[in-house]
Amino acid sequence: MPAIECRSLTKYYGDVRGIEDVSFTVADGEVFGFLGPNGAGKTTAIRTLLGFLSPTSGGATLLGHDATNPGESRAARERIGYLPGDPGLDEDRTAEAFLDHQAALRGSGSREALVERFGLDESRRIGDLSRGNRQKVALVAAFMHDPDLLLLDEPTSGLDPLLQEEFAALVRERVDDGASVLLSSHVLGEVAALCDRVGVLREGRLAAVETVEDLRSRGGKQVRVRVAEDAARDAFEVRGAMNLRVGDTVSFTWTGEYDALIDLLDRFTVRDLEVVDAPLEEAFMTFYDGDVPGPGRRHQGRTGGGDRGAEQAAPAADADADGGER
Amino acid sequence: MSDRSAPWLAIARYEAAGRARGSVVLTGLLSGFLLLFLAFFPSMSSAGIDLDAYVESFPPAFQEAFGIISISTIEGFLAVEFYQFAWLLLVGLYLAYLSGGTIAGDVASGRMDLTLSAPVARRDVVFGRFLGLVPLVVLLNAVLPIVAYVGVLAVGETIAVERLVAVHALAVPYHLCCVAIGIAVSTLVSRAGIAQRVALGGLFALFMFESLAASSEYDRAGSISPTAHYDPSAILVNAEYDVVGAAVLLAATAALVLLAVLRFRRADLAG
Repeated sequence: MPAIECRSLTKYYGDVRGIEDVSFTVADGEVFGFLGPNGAGKTTAIRTLLGFLSPTSGGATLLGHDATNPGESRAARERIGYLPGDPGLDEDRTAEAFLDHQAALRGSGSREALVERFGLDESRRIGDLSRGNRQKVALVAAFMHDPDLLLLDEPTSGLDPLLQEEFAALVRERVDDGASVLLSSHVLGEVAALCDRVGVLREGRLAAVETVEDLRSRGGKQVRVRVAEDAARDAFEVRGAMNLRVGDTVSFTWTGEYDALIDLLDRFTVRDLEVVDAPLEEAFMTFYDGDVPGPGRRHQGRTGGGDRGAEQAAPAADADADGGER
Repeated sequence: MSDRSAPWLAIARYEAAGRARGSVVLTGLLSGFLLLFLAFFPSMSSAGIDLDAYVESFPPAFQEAFGIISISTIEGFLAVEFYQFAWLLLVGLYLAYLSGGTIAGDVASGRMDLTLSAPVARRDVVFGRFLGLVPLVVLLNAVLPIVAYVGVLAVGETIAVERLVAVHALAVPYHLCCVAIGIAVSTLVSRAGIAQRVALGGLFALFMFESLAASSEYDRAGSISPTAHYDPSAILVNAEYDVVGAAVLLAATAALVLLAVLRFRRADLAG
């Protein structure tokens, strides 16, 4: 039984497309990544799976339960952990009160261990916590009942790099214990580090599903070489070498076979050589026309509100604007 | 798991706990307000002015709106100066406003996503949010009769305990109905701020309509307003207890909560 089976899932907000005809399967124990720029439909897909939005057409099962049936969805949610990137928490309650409440709703076998591991001070009012600490509160809530399926929507967007590492380790532990994961991100590195397969979302449609390995191999190798001779630019302008830069060191992206690379370098006296995986962004960008914002320029243009607003178009923008009045 | 209770109960408890301080403060403020008015009574009643003749000269709609039957007795004075204004209008409007922000506010802030990612049914959220405001209603109507009784004695007057108890016991269905109006609006309007104003404005409009209708030939139309079924003046001055009105209010409360459940069950959480 797959953890998630998504069949032609489609959600329109009026005339605005959220997602369209999204089909994929997450196998039991698999970590599946949703990759795409803000507004591509990642959040819409996850919120539709959770039953927060009713699909315009299509369907899905979560842990064998029909996600579009309220009763079955509730049964599935017994074993699901959900972590949004910008969780809605009660500002004027303490982390302890909030987690007590969440524990009453879903159970809390691992709460203490998680609180200790992430160094969360439960006695503080959530409104007084930093963004990272608020995210920790939501993280504990999402993991404390040892769920079998984790739906993580841009989960690390508020965490510092150290905590991102700790978070990744936690996800891996849960997977080792048999959990399945759907993780969305607009940061390729995060997805590549955790996922087995990646679904690339583009304007609400699933543009491709690939294993991270395939994606990586398609990206080629980043080669940096220092040679004794005066390296002429045209010596490296061969098939398979891209993004060539010639200076004290020569660097390029190699998309051909290793043997051909060795043949190329054989003509020189190599003083220093570095061959590493090219950044996945380059392979990833082939799914877009090269001008789509987001994956290639990861830290730009995000205002911290998550991508829900962008994905839900006009009505959501209204609701956001009203947020301050509560 | 042993630490889990029914979701609607867990939600109600959590919401009520979050409001505990505010509820106590509100109860204190209203108690102070009541005592302040009571302190005025001795000087008014000893001034030798025929206040009843004065208020009888008011237009009928005005008398209806403020439930004026008599103002010279302690019962009539309390009814007009406190219950008709603070209990019927102020507290009623405030409860509708509070509950109007509940579900719509949770959806808009994304809080609802976290609640509903747990194994919680939509109806549990509606029941829980409604019940979360019940302790406030109960607290107000349990504490204020005691404050009123002690206050009346303190100004050297006496009041029938039975009427004082009745004016609060019958206020409970009315206040619950005000909460239910807010809850229903909160599922109908997606923006919390708007939902609060619609709930508050709607209840006030119903009150105005009832006041005007009562002095016209369409007086029966006024009964669509919850305010038509709770009359503090009749209770305090004439010892008329409108039990049917209370039943109507409870039925309306149930219907409004049911409407909220039906509405929220189908709604997209388009926060």
